[in-house]
Formats: sequence, C-alpha cells, structure tokens
Amino acid sequence: MTAIPERRSTRQLAQPDLPSFDIGDLDPPTREALSSLVLTMADDEFVLGFWDSEWTGIAPMLEEDVAFSSLAQDEIGHARLLYEMIAQLHGGKADDLAFGRTADEYRHCRLLDHPRRDWAFSVARRWLYDTADAVRLTALRRSTFAPLAQIVEKIRREETYHLMHMDVWMRRLAAGGEPRERLEEALTSLWPDALSVFATVPEETRLIDEGILAAPMSELAGRQHERLLTTLASLGLSVPGPRPSSDDGRDRAEASESFRWLWSEFTMVHRLEEGATW
Amino acid sequence: MSQERTGPLGQPVPASGPTAKPAPSPEGRHDDAARLGEGAEPDVWEVFRQEKDGDPMRHAGNVRAPDRELATHYARELYARRQESVRLWVVSRGDIIDLSDPDLLQPPLDRTFKKPGGYVMRDKLDAARKRAAEAGEGDGGGAPE
Repeated sequence: MTAIPERRSTRQLAQPDLPSFDIGDLDPPTREALSSLVLTMADDEFVLGFWDSEWTGIAPMLEEDVAFSSLAQDEIGHARLLYEMIAQLHGGKADDLAFGRTADEYRHCRLLDHPRRDWAFSVARRWLYDTADAVRLTALRRSTFAPLAQIVEKIRREETYHLMHMDVWMRRLAAGGEPRERLEEALTSLWPDALSVFATVPEETRLIDEGILAAPMSELAGRQHERLLTTLASLGLSVPGPRPSSDDGRDRAEASESFRWLWSEFTMVHRLEEGATW
Repeated sequence: MSQERTGPLGQPVPASGPTAKPAPSPEGRHDDAARLGEGAEPDVWEVFRQEKDGDPMRHAGNVRAPDRELATHYARELYARRQESVRLWVVSRGDIIDLSDPDLLQPPLDRTFKKPGGYVMRDKLDAARKRAAEAGEGDGGGAPE
C-alpha cells in the first residue's frame, strides 16, 4: 500500500523584502533624521495609494480599473516596507504608523493633499508624483544605509512600470480634444505643488554628510523641474506656470479637510477595534 | 481592402467574425470613451501565458485596449500581476486567422475511415512491451508504464 503523501503548501513563503538590520551602526541623531526622511516617503506612497484606489470600480475601462488599482496597491506595498523600516529603527509596529496616527500627523507632500477629481487629474498627479519619486529614489540607491539602498532598488524596479503606464496616458490625453483640455486644466491646478515632493526634510545636511542621501532636496527639485520642462515640451504642452516652490508643505499644523476625509476612510477598520490582529 | 471580408481560403467572413468591434463598454463607467483620447474604441487582444519555463503557451483570455501599448499593460495586470506567468503573448484579435467553416473542418461525408478505431492495438502493444522487458533484463531496464 502506498502511504498518502503529506500535503504540502504549493506556495513558498516569500522572502521578507526588508532585511533585518542592526541599528547599532547609526548614532541617535542620524537615526532620527533617517526615519524622518523615510516617513515622508512612506506617507507619500501610502496617501497616493489610497487616493488612487478610489478609482476602483469607476475607472474609464474595466482593464484600466484593474491596472490602476494594482498600481495603487503597489504604492501601499512600498509604504508598508518603509513603515516597517521605521518600526525597526524605533521599535513599535508598522501598522501603528500607518493607521494609528491622527490625520494631522501625516507628512505627505502638498501634491498629495488634494481630493480626487476627474481622470485627467489623477493621471496628471500620478505622473507628477511618479517622476519626482523616481528622482528621489535615484538619490537613495547608493545610500550608505544598506537596508534603504536595498529596498529602494526593489521599489525602483516596480516604479519603472508605473512610469511607463503614466507615460502612455500622458501621451494619450495630450494628443488633443477634450482629453487635452482636461489634462491642461489638471496640470495648471497642480503645478504650484509639482515640486513639493522635495520639501526639505529635518537634518538634511546630516543625511548628506553620512552618505544616506546623495544630494540636497533643493538640488533634486531642480533636476525634476528640468525634466518636467523637457517632457512637457515633447508632449507639446505649455509650461503651466513659473518654477514651483519646494520649500515647505509637509509640516501642516492641521490636515486639510479632504485628507481628513480620506484618513477617516482608511483608518475606519483600524478604529473599529484597536489592537485587533488577524 | 475589399468591402466583403474573406477568410484565409477565400471564404466570406461574417461581420461577427474575429475582427468585429466588441460591444461598447458597460454603462456606469466614470468617463465616456470620447474623453479617453484618440482611438478610444478599444480593440480586443487575445492573451496567451506561460506559467513556468518549459510549459506551452496557453490561451489565458483577452483584454480590451485602444492600442498595443495599453494592451501590453493590461495583459500584464490581468494575467501576471500575481506572478502567475513568466511570459505573455499579446495578439490583436484582428491578426488571428479564424477558421471555423464547417466545409473545411466538419465535412458532411463520412470520415470514420480516417480514424484509428477498429484497429486493436492492445495485444500487439502488450507483446511489444514484454519483448522490450525481456531484452532490457540485466541492464536495469524495465517495461515502460
């Protein structure tokens, strides 16, 4: 008689994306500066992910619905990795960072502080964000803090596809007619916040001295501005305004009304029963 | 191209053939097609996927997309976003040669003489296996299953 073979899981446990690391190498002020930087990135990804997930079910076509929702999920995945990194730097849990803060405590940039409008708006915003994020990620890929360099490399590979997807849509909408008008309108309304991803982070000089960040945020903003002008020209779109400021924006005294609403949506389940696990 | 479309062997292809436009997108979508840009009326693209290296390409399903680029993106999202594929083929449905003419595939005359039925192989196969097993004895070879 043959023994019944033991049932095996068909799926192997995925390797953890974030390697465990030793924080002993980092002195406390550097650790502080590093987690401030990572928090801005995590909040950006998290908030964009939730704004864009609002298109689930109502995107222009079913296929785009699935694709855009999948992009939004990717951002939440990136945020998870980055929150986990902060949790390792400070102790605590990624979930508490993601869902356990008040709306006023999120550090996402101004660009991501607007409610969803039409499809052209979401395309324009995601394009402005993804291209800026690519510049920021490039400045971190050779970070002396190896765990950050490692996850940045993984995130960059996924973002390559996001950039391609947004590029297709920008070209489509810019081609003419009503789509172009709507795109121009969206770009004009978002332009003042186009470089807000590069708002200075606390103790930036320390991060640069330690080799964690390759260049000052203001320099990255300049790079991104150049790139935006080139791409707008290649799309035959006019530049919507003077060079936007990247000086401030992440430290809000109070969350905007629209973000307060989004926050109440994405923390709803968490607030039902705090500390619940599954 | 002539008004009346013909298949690979010159047979007429009905309007509902493989290159026919799909039904318009379901109502309730946020934007109408006019706002999506040039060529917004989406074509159908058939998607084939390979699950792992060495597997055959199998038909996975299809996507609607207004151009090649978006077709590629949507194929990736619908048939590979959970890492279930190592390769995809995306083919415009219009490029597929459709062959469904009953005169070509299901001719009315009796074809049973082309089938191997009635020719009993079992005893011959058994004998062949036995011979193979005897010949293979000694060098570890056994009869095939």
